[in-house]
Amino acid sequence: MRFLFVLTIGMLCLCASSSYAQQPTNPSAPTTGTIKGIVRDTAHNYVLKAATVSIYRADSSVLNYQLSNNYGEFKFTNVPIGQILRIDISNIGYETLRQKITIPKGETLLDLKTLVLNPRNETLKEVVISIPPITYNNDTLEINAAAFKLDTNATVEDLLKKVPNITVWGDGIITVNGKEVKSLLVNGKQFFDGDNKVTLQNIPKNALEKIQIFNNADRNNPLDSNLIANLKLKKGKDRSYFGKIGIGYGTDNHYQLDGNINFTTPKLQLSIIGATNDVNKIPNDINTLVRNSTFKGIGTSVEYQPDFRQTGINKGIVAGAKMNYNFTPDSKEWNNKSSMSADYYFRNTETNNSGKTDNITTLSTNNKIFSLSENTSVNNSESHRINSQFNYFKKNHQIDISESFNTDNSSSKSINLRNASDNNNKPISTNDGRSTSNSDSQNLNLRANYSYNNYNNWKQRFKGFNLSYNLSMNNRNSDRNEITEFKDLLTPTLNRDFNRNYQTDAKTLNQNINLTVRDLRSLIFGNKNLSDFNGEITAKLDLDNNKNNNQVQDLNSGTYQVNNYLSNNLQTNQAVFTPGFSISKNFSKNLSNRYNKNLSIRFTAAQQLSYQDNKSIKSFQNINRDYNNFIPTASISYSNYQYGTHQTSISLNYNTQIIIPTINQLAPLTDSTNLYNLQRGNLNLVEAKTKSLNLSIYRYDMRSKNTLNFSANASIGLTEDAIIDSSFIDARNRRNNYLANADGTKYARIYGDVRKSLKFKSAELKFGYTTSFNVNRTPNYLNGLFNFSNNTSTENKISTNFTFKDKFALEGAQSIGTSSSKQKSLNTAYKNTTLTSSLSTNYNFTKKFSLNSNVSFNSNNPSVGETVNFTIWNAEFNYRFTKGNNAEIKLSALDLLKQNRAIFNFAGTNTFTTSTRNVLQQYFMVTLSYYPRKFGNNAAVKK
Amino acid sequence: MKPLKLFLYVLLYAQSLTLLTFAQTGKIDSIGMVTLRIDPQSARGAAISQIFDEVKFIPLETTKESLFGNIAQLKIAGNKFVIYDYDTRSILLFSDEGKYISKIDATKLQTDKEDKEKAQSYGFRTVNEEGKDYIVIFTSNNVQYFTMDGKFIKKVKNYSYSDEITMSKGNVVAKLGMYIKKGKDSTFYKLNVINKVKKDTIGYFKFDTKLYETDDWYGDGGISQYAPNEAFWSTFYDYNLYKITPDKVSLAYKFVLPAINTLPKDFLTNPIYVKKRFDYFEKNKKVIHGLGKSYLLGDNLYLRFSNVFWDKDQKKNLIYNIKTSELISFQDLEPDSLSSFLPITDSGFGYDFENRGFLAFEDGKFYTSYSSLAMFAFKERSAGKTTKYPPLLENYFKTGDRKSNPVLVVFKPKTK
Repeated sequence: MRFLFVLTIGMLCLCASSSYAQQPTNPSAPTTGTIKGIVRDTAHNYVLKAATVSIYRADSSVLNYQLSNNYGEFKFTNVPIGQILRIDISNIGYETLRQKITIPKGETLLDLKTLVLNPRNETLKEVVISIPPITYNNDTLEINAAAFKLDTNATVEDLLKKVPNITVWGDGIITVNGKEVKSLLVNGKQFFDGDNKVTLQNIPKNALEKIQIFNNADRNNPLDSNLIANLKLKKGKDRSYFGKIGIGYGTDNHYQLDGNINFTTPKLQLSIIGATNDVNKIPNDINTLVRNSTFKGIGTSVEYQPDFRQTGINKGIVAGAKMNYNFTPDSKEWNNKSSMSADYYFRNTETNNSGKTDNITTLSTNNKIFSLSENTSVNNSESHRINSQFNYFKKNHQIDISESFNTDNSSSKSINLRNASDNNNKPISTNDGRSTSNSDSQNLNLRANYSYNNYNNWKQRFKGFNLSYNLSMNNRNSDRNEITEFKDLLTPTLNRDFNRNYQTDAKTLNQNINLTVRDLRSLIFGNKNLSDFNGEITAKLDLDNNKNNNQVQDLNSGTYQVNNYLSNNLQTNQAVFTPGFSISKNFSKNLSNRYNKNLSIRFTAAQQLSYQDNKSIKSFQNINRDYNNFIPTASISYSNYQYGTHQTSISLNYNTQIIIPTINQLAPLTDSTNLYNLQRGNLNLVEAKTKSLNLSIYRYDMRSKNTLNFSANASIGLTEDAIIDSSFIDARNRRNNYLANADGTKYARIYGDVRKSLKFKSAELKFGYTTSFNVNRTPNYLNGLFNFSNNTSTENKISTNFTFKDKFALEGAQSIGTSSSKQKSLNTAYKNTTLTSSLSTNYNFTKKFSLNSNVSFNSNNPSVGETVNFTIWNAEFNYRFTKGNNAEIKLSALDLLKQNRAIFNFAGTNTFTTSTRNVLQQYFMVTLSYYPRKFGNNAAVKK
Repeated sequence: MKPLKLFLYVLLYAQSLTLLTFAQTGKIDSIGMVTLRIDPQSARGAAISQIFDEVKFIPLETTKESLFGNIAQLKIAGNKFVIYDYDTRSILLFSDEGKYISKIDATKLQTDKEDKEKAQSYGFRTVNEEGKDYIVIFTSNNVQYFTMDGKFIKKVKNYSYSDEITMSKGNVVAKLGMYIKKGKDSTFYKLNVINKVKKDTIGYFKFDTKLYETDDWYGDGGISQYAPNEAFWSTFYDYNLYKITPDKVSLAYKFVLPAINTLPKDFLTNPIYVKKRFDYFEKNKKVIHGLGKSYLLGDNLYLRFSNVFWDKDQKKNLIYNIKTSELISFQDLEPDSLSSFLPITDSGFGYDFENRGFLAFEDGKFYTSYSSLAMFAFKERSAGKTTKYPPLLENYFKTGDRKSNPVLVVFKPKTK
């Protein structure tokens, strides 16, 4: 239904735009005519092939313009008859020709014949009469900002929308004559994170000198599209600041405050953010806030909106800064680039959760246990994150170093009240739990990669190698207090009470070294071809060191005493060494200007030698094991490049993965606190081996209009000796989990993605379709009974994106997801269907006044439990004021229909759980925002 | 490029087998030298019909068997075109109307037991031996002779691969790089003139072949015959055009180019450039590293300058009138009715002309080619300019498409 709705809207827009495009003219009394001519340099005796011919109205506004063709000709249609116009013809290195022209009344054609341009005398100072809208200079198309008259607050995006043959699509992608711009640069460099929106919607049109569009394609594939658009700023405008500061207050004392400010200099780019609110709007990173603080506003984007799906009441504060420093700002060579970037992110959140959970556990046919629990919790978390990255690239040497450091300090308090009853609704047990915990953790990741490439010098045999080192350190300290009162209503002797303290100190250190020596053929056999066979040596070493110190105390008659059973000190050292050798063969078929096909086959033989050593104060955990496995991988990849039409790639990969049982799977210390779930081990576990096959297909359309692109991925896998659950559940729903090895774990996944774009005269329409299908079969034992759990899930989504001039934008999506789980031996089956429809629109009444609305309809239909339908509708009015449109007042209404609920259904092996949680609900808010923006040193950005 | 470089390298060593006695070192006559100052970027345009008498497009027939990539080498043998295609490693024969005749592909090449590598073609030459025409195919093991119908005849080892031309009805042979033996020593010369009547060989431009290993060499040059007894020779890192006649080798033209296009004076002698020449050209893209095959037809010098700058606006293929000193560039030639408003090279669209220059000069006519991808694009661009194409083209536009075989372009320069 919803899908049809969205589709209808899409079609309506489509019809509206095509009817717009076909406005008939009255043939009996023509009001427009044609102007044509040829541009020639008589001094050099040739026609000028890409001279800019512009026609201006009497008031000097641009009527139309074009570049002369390969024969020096130009031709304008739809030119008004009888009006005084001006024609300007310009070309690099020539004096501009300017002439007044009029198509005489009663005629429909004005043939200007040959128009002669004179080469500019180099010694004379350049006198620019007026800048042509576009020029063609040395294979680069230049769009001159000054030639376009827009209002003073216009951004680069507004400018691009005025340039014919350039389309800024609703999703931020730019195409020039249908070809996608692969990278958008500012003064030759990436602008912040390279997000088109941040670039296009912040930089004022008036700070721009010109946009240069050129193709960076390979000389051998001149038709390949690798378009680059470079925004060349006016001199001095590369020093700038811009951003947004907003403050909002609403009903139910809801509040929000956010700010983002960005600075640029030729070498440095810096962003600073800060936000605090209680409306589930906590950005996960700095970029999210930067992207959603652009001068143009958010339009149809729903990325940074209150998240009504989030459970609990969340309050948060975030702050952060990000910088990027370029050591070689003027280098244009791809192999001479060095830069450093770093960011810091702080986040403090408080979440208040409350919820109810219903759970049905099937023990055997017609024997079920029902449990109901109520849960409240308060979580506080404070975290700091520092990332930095350094890249050095010079000639044959490339070094990449990155670091990430996190600290987190969190605490939580929770209460869980739970009772269980049998088939006849008779209570069998209750369990009251109270838990408080505090933890702090530090985490450091370091990655370093060095690669040496020597492909330029064909005489040298050693072509290169790659060496990488990864380090990961983790430290976690936590203390936790658990108070549990378990009452067995049938057998009171089983009643248990606990008041237990846990103190855990865990340290892990993982190191990983990888070495790859490439192109063995060249190294050993020099320039011999060897029928395109080649070899590679790889070696991989993983070293893991884990230390776990657990101190557990129980409250016994008023004092805490050490629980010697649960207190433990465990250390695990693990080394995995994987040497490998690959052999590959390449088949290629090339027919100049027609196609380029390539097939390559690679087979890698690798041996994985693993050693695991566990040392513990518990003797049963003093286990050491070694494993030795052959892990072959193979891949076939095929690519077909058809000049000027399309490119297709297909690859098929076979992989083997070994999963070694951990000490907690072999011999865990069983914690008896939670009687409902006791984790036991199995000393006889062996390693699991997963074999997988993955197929991926990708098609890229190189035509200039109405392109169709798609990608698809399918994989299947089979696990031998998978480590599976073997659970024993007694009549009181107490679960003992043992583990076992079993064959028969299988999975299959398919993912597909199709995109189609259509362009009309003043509108653009894009369709996307994604599909995914997952099926897996997991074996398990339940009370000794072998069972397969078959799980299937699907997700299909169709989305459409429509924009009409810069007035109206619409984004619609419809998705349907299903999931099902079947247990054959238990004779149970659970199903769930979720439908989501969303429609987001943006309408600009004037340049100052706009309306945004987004509606999403959610329907959750499980086979057990009630169907949940709810619609969330948010709307906001924006009004911009002050001269530079820098200030904004916004009225927003969120969850207008007051329907938000959170209901979750989860189907496990033999359980089905339905739970409800507290969520954010309807509120109204007034927000005041200010968008500071300055490019260049002058106070006001003037033309 | 790599296999090609490798092959050239192999060829160089094969030279050492061609040792001749009765040798001497020749002197260059520079009395008649003319200095020409040329600024390539100042070249003008002209209509095609002003420069050429005749333009003919010969689409090469596309069948499953005749499908090939592009023309790496072209020889005109009577009424046949012999074509070498590097993509399919085949030699293809087409009639003078572009009809496919036959081909010599890898399956027809023979590999002997003692051969190090499986026979693969690297190019060919047409020869006339004892009154019969043959196609001689180069492989890394030997050369293999085929008849003009593609029939295998024989294999020959120790064959001299160097490019050569003949004058004085075959009595004089001018041959590129080879070793000449004098007593115990043998010396390598870039240009050699062998007089079969006088039974002597004169070597010009001594060259140390070690330089090929110890230095980069990056440049154009070659031998081009434009009249029965006249040819030009040029070499890399040099702006001189030498004239070969049966009697002597003389310096005919010395070109002076604008500073921005000119090599440093000490380019050959200063050790800072050793093994850094490639880097030098990458940093100074406009510098011309040499003259390619050039021709004198009537008063017009057809010149080809080479550099590593692939910019479309660079004027490198020029026509210089030695009487009027008018300079015309090939890319500024304007298609007109003589060429059905189609360009005669793919300049500005593809790189076939940029990479290879003229494929051949035979019987007063130049040969170039471009892809069908280019041809259909040119046809689209010139839509409405011509109503009727010549029959060969008309038929090609009806039956062919962008994936058809390349089109040969033949044009005859005016000499008066």
